[in-house]
Amino acid sequence: MSDQKPNKKPEKKPDITFFHPDLLEVPADGKAPYLKGYRCKGCGQLDFPKLSPCPSCWGEEFEVVPLSRRGKLYSFSDNFIGQAGMKTPYSFGYIDLPENLRIFAQLEGEPGSFRCDEEVELTVGPVRDNRDGIPLISYKFRKA
Amino acid sequence: MKLQRKVYIAGVGETKFGRHEVDFDVLGRSAAFEALKASNIDRPTMVQSAYVGNGTNGMVVGQTVLKDLGMCGHLPIMTVESACSAGGMAVHLAVRDVAMGLADVAIGIGCENHTLHMAQGTAFATAMSDIETVHGAVMTGKYAMRAQRYMYETGATAEDLAMITVKNRRHATNNPYAWFKGEISVEEVVKSRVVASPLTLQQCCGIADGAGAIVVCSEQMVKKLGIQKPILVAGSVVRSGPYHNRPRDITGDDITEETAHQLYEESGIGPEDVNIVELHDAFTIAELLYYECLGLCPKGEGLKFLRDGNSTHGGKCVVSPRGGMLSYGHPIGASGAAQIAASVKQMRNQCPGYQVDPVPRVAMTHVTGGGLSGTEHAACTMHMLVSDW
Repeated sequence: MSDQKPNKKPEKKPDITFFHPDLLEVPADGKAPYLKGYRCKGCGQLDFPKLSPCPSCWGEEFEVVPLSRRGKLYSFSDNFIGQAGMKTPYSFGYIDLPENLRIFAQLEGEPGSFRCDEEVELTVGPVRDNRDGIPLISYKFRKA
Repeated sequence: MKLQRKVYIAGVGETKFGRHEVDFDVLGRSAAFEALKASNIDRPTMVQSAYVGNGTNGMVVGQTVLKDLGMCGHLPIMTVESACSAGGMAVHLAVRDVAMGLADVAIGIGCENHTLHMAQGTAFATAMSDIETVHGAVMTGKYAMRAQRYMYETGATAEDLAMITVKNRRHATNNPYAWFKGEISVEEVVKSRVVASPLTLQQCCGIADGAGAIVVCSEQMVKKLGIQKPILVAGSVVRSGPYHNRPRDITGDDITEETAHQLYEESGIGPEDVNIVELHDAFTIAELLYYECLGLCPKGEGLKFLRDGNSTHGGKCVVSPRGGMLSYGHPIGASGAAQIAASVKQMRNQCPGYQVDPVPRVAMTHVTGGGLSGTEHAACTMHMLVSDW
């Protein structure tokens, strides 16, 4: 009986499972994913993530630039105590791209296996669970 | 901001740091009351403005702390938030009010209770609006990356970093306000469990509760109050962290270097004249890097400075004489104010069992705050203090 009552509560919208589309492009045709850089049409500054307005000239128009898929692992840490709600251990690091940009990202691979200045490449995978317990997929890096 | 007239510290207060069963307001009030009494202030209406630093305990923290002291309704009370820099920033704002002639007596307080409110076994993260936080960033891991890179570039070892904990805990041995103190060996530090590689548990500040408070006043008022040992605030600087997403040297610290430079310039006092420093030793690596960033030694010689005993009793500049955050723990909104309180006690020769000898005449404090992506830290607050008697 109660099944037939109209449900007035709006259906809870599922949390996004793909992290922000402004950041990461995963082409539908199976081509390699890439991070999206934003070049200010006013002053030419390239940023990741997208900053709006451009902090250098307050420009509001940008051109999307696919960023290099490979970079150098500047530094990293294997975390055994993490954020509330995140499974440990997990590793993250700073990756320096040839475009003179530094990306903070989780690293795919075993704790203890990373080295400073080694080559890493972009990959895509779960970084945490969202509010609904669904894995949140985003950019990560792994040994190239 | 160069101070436009002389500002003095009249009195200070601090609670013992550690795990408290009373909340931030009781801690803050206790430190404030102690500081007011030490300043010979006998009624709440003598204070003309109050700033209360806090990171995580909610809204209208300032009024909640000060209501039982009868201060609400008599003066503007403002809560100040800048994560780990909040307590220092609260003192800065009190100093600024006196310097600009807006007040003759002002109080800066830092207080925090974490342990009643935080899930055990988790690390501090910044707001979920930050792109790094979404990807799992925690403060322990971010400092660990600095350690990782420093060790990679310089060949420093885990044992080298551990010496910072050993030194600071030794400094705190007889300090009744410190939490973790006394003898600990390099081996015990290195072999404690890994929190964020390469940092182990004993290289990380404890998650603690506590408070500190500082009463500042004008030159005329410090005489009127009959303060015997006034401490001159020779400089008080707050800066925000440069923001960009390009590679930077994380074995340095742009915001600390800039804040220190400004403080030296405005106070007319250089690093070679500083007798004691309380700095942001939330993790061992931080103290080591900050020797260099503060100019206590040349770039690249931090480890030598430590090994040569220059940062302990008998050295060029005693760093973390109270024991630092590695001994006190780090209630984020409280530490900046508590550092100043502890430094004033050192300058007044009020630290039996942990007194720096000769009694320091010049002290410097330093706190950074906030892991915001694209910055090393969101905020940095520094103070330069000089005995004036």
